[in-house]
Amino acid sequence: MSAHATAAPPASTIARPRGSRTAAWPLIDRIAYWLCWAMGIGLCLIAASIVIFMLVRGVAYLRLSMFVSSPAPSLHQSQSGGFSDPILGTLIVTALGIAIAAPLGVAIASWLSEYARPAWLARTVESAIEMIAGVPSVVLAIFGLLVFSQGFLGFLSQNAFNGSVTGQSFVTAGIVMSILALPLVVASTREALAQLPDRLREASYALGKTRATTIRRVLLPAIRPSIASGVVLGMGRIIGDTAIITILLGATLKNEPVGGVPLLGDLRGTGSTLTSYVFNNSPAGEGNAPQKAYAAAFVLLMIVLGLNALVTRLTAGASARRPGRRSIMRRVSAWTR
Amino acid sequence: MRAYRTLIASTFLILALAVPAGAAARRLIIGGSTSVLPLAQKLATAYHQANPRLAAPKVGGGQSDIGISGASKGQFDIGDSSRDPIKGVDPKGLVFTKIARDGVCVITNPANPIGNLSQETVEGIFTGRIRDWSSVPGAVLGGPIDLFDRDGASGTQDAFQHIFLGETLKISPTATAETSNGLEQNAVASDKQAIGFVSFAYTAGVNPVGYQGIPCNLRNAKSGQYGGVRNFWMVTKGVPKGEAAKFLRFVTSGNAATKRIINSSWIAIH
Amino acid sequence: MPPAAAKARARAVRTPASKANARAVRADERVERTLGALAVAILVLIALMVVTVAIKAWPSFSYNGLHWFGPGGDVDTQLRVMREGTPIAGHGPLYFRAWPLLWGTLLTTVLAVACALVISTLAAVFLTEFAPDGVRRTLEPVIRLLAGVPSVVYGLIGILAIAPWINEHLISNSRKHSVEYVVQLNGADVMTATVILTVMILPIMVAISANALAAVPASWREGSAALGVNRWRTIWRISLRTARPAIAAATVLATARALGEAVMLAMVSGGRGFAPNPLDGVTFLFEPVRPLAATIFQESEGLTIGALGHTIYAIGAVLLVSATMLSLVGWAAKQPLKRYGIRT
Repeated sequence: MSAHATAAPPASTIARPRGSRTAAWPLIDRIAYWLCWAMGIGLCLIAASIVIFMLVRGVAYLRLSMFVSSPAPSLHQSQSGGFSDPILGTLIVTALGIAIAAPLGVAIASWLSEYARPAWLARTVESAIEMIAGVPSVVLAIFGLLVFSQGFLGFLSQNAFNGSVTGQSFVTAGIVMSILALPLVVASTREALAQLPDRLREASYALGKTRATTIRRVLLPAIRPSIASGVVLGMGRIIGDTAIITILLGATLKNEPVGGVPLLGDLRGTGSTLTSYVFNNSPAGEGNAPQKAYAAAFVLLMIVLGLNALVTRLTAGASARRPGRRSIMRRVSAWTR
Repeated sequence: MRAYRTLIASTFLILALAVPAGAAARRLIIGGSTSVLPLAQKLATAYHQANPRLAAPKVGGGQSDIGISGASKGQFDIGDSSRDPIKGVDPKGLVFTKIARDGVCVITNPANPIGNLSQETVEGIFTGRIRDWSSVPGAVLGGPIDLFDRDGASGTQDAFQHIFLGETLKISPTATAETSNGLEQNAVASDKQAIGFVSFAYTAGVNPVGYQGIPCNLRNAKSGQYGGVRNFWMVTKGVPKGEAAKFLRFVTSGNAATKRIINSSWIAIH
Repeated sequence: MPPAAAKARARAVRTPASKANARAVRADERVERTLGALAVAILVLIALMVVTVAIKAWPSFSYNGLHWFGPGGDVDTQLRVMREGTPIAGHGPLYFRAWPLLWGTLLTTVLAVACALVISTLAAVFLTEFAPDGVRRTLEPVIRLLAGVPSVVYGLIGILAIAPWINEHLISNSRKHSVEYVVQLNGADVMTATVILTVMILPIMVAISANALAAVPASWREGSAALGVNRWRTIWRISLRTARPAIAAATVLATARALGEAVMLAMVSGGRGFAPNPLDGVTFLFEPVRPLAATIFQESEGLTIGALGHTIYAIGAVLLVSATMLSLVGWAAKQPLKRYGIRT
């Protein structure tokens, strides 16, 4: 096939040289060709089987009442309630994480892209962001627990009666989750800023605007879809994480607020999210409720699929002007970090 | 500029609201035995219903030894234990309050519904002398025996050891050690050739095996015929005070709510 | 306009317009300093993370020395006595020999990355070269789906579907009997862990490899076709060779991802600190392991207990150092690719 990055002409008008049909290849090349096809189709089959398996099991056990009832401790699956608390917990943790990561990520990306002085600092920050992206989430979780167990941060979580700080609450989990989402937002914003043509900046400077105003009024509005897709990728990563939730959110069955103040009490309390709910109800956790685990895992999978579709919509709008193979690869690699 | 001022002002406002709330925010933290865990969770819910203004106690697991050492170190306000206190091993200064009694059953997979095991067979299986189901009378399948044990911190393992194996015999070291009743129940329920032991409340989905001719069920445990019964304790550092004392009074008072909860899967003593 | 020149100009001419200019320039500098402070805050955060984990981990390393990485007794027992506070006779409370955990991590990671390397290269070649347009357009959401599935869901599928299947069909009674004096076999083992881990790291590798393959200059491939070389040979000799640095970078990143996977491995790898013996033949693939990250996740309740806390933070320190080194190496390996316009 033609190797141009722009749209190729229809196949029927291309003259192919003799011998380019795969039937004419030596056997070993043909085997390789079939293997490639097998791997490609295999990937589709694996994804399809995962979705179909979760669909079948999840729909079999999913009831609408589960969305509105709280989990209750019980040894029998029929009495153990639903997962309204875990869903609420997922929303709260994601909102907290994104609320911190999005502005922070955009700010750091703007600094890296527009200012970046001194140069050694910029390079160090770049590699620091890459390092954060590579840190396992368990290690982030135990680091977070260490930090938030200090006495002076006790207002973020709750105190046990003997005075020690548990360090487990929605606030602490949200803060550590923002570290998870940060590299995705930064990478997405940086790449978009790098692709903006210089003439935008030059026009703004020529009109007498400072760099800060240019960023705020010209550049960032121009890359809104990319920022949004970075934020949605970050949300996907936050929603899918279990280790931080188990270690920093206490993974109690219901959301337990702390203290009297309505909203802040919930944020300082412990709770669970869909991921810790699925883990606890699986054979690896305490609940021994595989039906509930399947139902919750199905809901989780649907949320992730929905977020993926959202990212597709956002990036499709942005790069509709650049069809072709290379843009697909670029989009594909952006969200597998 | 105005945006920055608003941001700083609102942050101070939030912190100002949070700090005094932080001073008043404590709730009971209970943890330890996974056998006591379902009972403690139900009691905590009932306690919260009886005292709506108080935050519900937070109940966790970790196994009996963790409950005892946690109560001693202050990690837990109340520690749960499903084994009796051992002088010389347990930290000093702890007060054990008995709250109920519980049965321990040997369990097998429902595909292998053994009705009864004798003392000798139980010893043979759990010490690893008997390794194949074909040597076990009453087993419907063959193949190697998958033995499931509990972790060393488990009170249920202590109870099993004392009641079923005596003081000298030890469970085979190749057994897979699970860290809670729930995990043990899961493991046996998902493996046809498995055998293990759990607290009575965890026998759903598995086959409880009779011991020396007596089936392991709540009625036999309550009547005293089934021998595998042990105590549940709640442990505090020193005499219970304040919130912990209030909760323990509620649990040991013998009022209608707690009696109903305890009698559902356990044996009441008050 | 550049801040330095604006400042100089503002100093030179003091008219109302330039005063406004000067204010704007000062505001710009404030913004630059604020944003720079935020960026530095990230550096401080990382430094804080490394320092605090190292401080918490130091007692475990200083007690055990380099033997921390060596074999010596049953890891599960060592962790248990730390939890209970009753040290093993003859050793202190911090005694720990992590070799079975390290070996388990090494096994699962190396096997998974090796399988994923082969599969992802072939799949990337398919994606860029052989796939018809329709198939290519469906493969993109497929890869995104595989990348986005949470690890609990993978773990759930593993523990409820794959592990029992392996237990039923691949682990025969005689195989169980052959190792029964050493360890019990059920479906949760090296093989299950490797299979699922491979699926989890495939999307990263496919994406980066496909990106690199697509960026190979068209003229090189056209030249090869003009010389009569068939498509596969062209790919093998030219495209893959050009994309080798990218594939290496992808491998490094995938290894970092595999090292950090805790939850899925905690659910399916068997949870026993056992070092599988390759001399057992094929059976060694069915023996349980306990990778490092899964150990941290499973022991996370004991973080506040003294000796166990130090040991877990020590394991975390090992993970932190290796995963971040791999990330940095992968990032550094991707830098030269930017020269060719290969964006990864």
